[in-house]
Amino acid sequence: MTELVFSVSVEELCQCEEFSQQLIVEVVEHGIAHPMAGQEVVDWVFDTTSVHWLRKAVRLHSDLEIDWVAVAMVIELLQKNEALEKQNKHIEQQLKRFLEY
Amino acid sequence: MEFKDYYQILSVPPDADAKAIKTAYRKLARKYHPDMNPDAGAEDKFKEVAEAYEVLKDTERRAEYDELRKYGGDPRSGSGFEPPPGWQSGGGGGGGFSSAGGRHFEGDFSDFFNSMFSGGGGESRSRRSGMRGQDAEIEMPIFLEESVTETTKLVEYLIPVIENGQMKEVKKSLKVKIPQGVQDGERIRLKGQGGSGHGDGENGDLYLHIRLVPHPLFDVEGHNLVVTVPLAPWEAALGTKVTVPTLSGKINLTIAPNSQAGQRLRIKGKGLATKSGRGDLFALLKVVMPPSASSKATELWQSLSEEADFDPRAQWGNE
Repeated sequence: MTELVFSVSVEELCQCEEFSQQLIVEVVEHGIAHPMAGQEVVDWVFDTTSVHWLRKAVRLHSDLEIDWVAVAMVIELLQKNEALEKQNKHIEQQLKRFLEY
Repeated sequence: MEFKDYYQILSVPPDADAKAIKTAYRKLARKYHPDMNPDAGAEDKFKEVAEAYEVLKDTERRAEYDELRKYGGDPRSGSGFEPPPGWQSGGGGGGGFSSAGGRHFEGDFSDFFNSMFSGGGGESRSRRSGMRGQDAEIEMPIFLEESVTETTKLVEYLIPVIENGQMKEVKKSLKVKIPQGVQDGERIRLKGQGGSGHGDGENGDLYLHIRLVPHPLFDVEGHNLVVTVPLAPWEAALGTKVTVPTLSGKINLTIAPNSQAGQRLRIKGKGLATKSGRGDLFALLKVVMPPSASSKATELWQSLSEEADFDPRAQWGNE
């Protein structure tokens, strides 16, 4: 049986993704991802969903050559869009149940 | 091997200046970036655009490409493209360059690119020294019934591996114990179950993206569930007892007299599992008319309409 993990440490992010610590600090300072634990940068731990957005942010920053402020805005809008799509689907489903017989 | 017309890919003329190339790349990258565009085929298109920009943004590499283009890049020639004998990239090749899309898609350029710019300059970084394998992410559908207890799932997925210098996909399967209380959208990391590392590099990780499968009866609201309960008009008026399904068996629910459509009744602890307990189930009442009425029933409705002092459109006012 495989070991399940729900978090990623800064050290692992630096090793696995070849991110620099400075880059991770940049992402956190722009509010794109928030560590779930750890006082000092070296002790930071992120949940796996934050890591998903953190990676996305780094890709957008390098692939689209846009600055971190713009990346933070894009990520925020993508997250809002995702939440609204989910909510919309849910409301549509409930409406269907309510109207159909 | 197919010749890649990078100018055509970026929709710029061959004499376009660096600024025009950058503008064209940015426009197309925004349009096709897989993080912005979920359409099938967008990622491939983005890779193509990133590869074209990788070559054309670099003066030295662009000059080499222009030479090759003269040599054999005429798409009308019909036959496949082969680089000139003894061709070796001067300055643009080798692994380890930084690219617009390079970090993300490193090693993912076309055969054409690799033969032009990676050959002769030594092996790519991934093969020269140990490099960690790619992480992978797959969707993991979970039924609501499965989410309330720990459940074992068989996970099957394709993973890219390099064998004899060739990238190919291999099917992997493993059993995973999904803990109770997983939520829609949650990601679970499985260390070392992603792509194989190259050389001394570690394996990548596998991420399971949890997707709760839509249920025919229940809707999910966070940790709570909602079940729509149809009632006959007289049941809503007089009250009744109904048997309501839950994820674990049925329960009896008392409907109070004069209940309204849209009213929600809370059934404690019958929702989805959380890490520490259970959410609630809400019964959402819905009043349903019978499809047809007998003459006796019509008479009864008629006498009710005469008896009842009720204007359902009172809020509209008198206009």
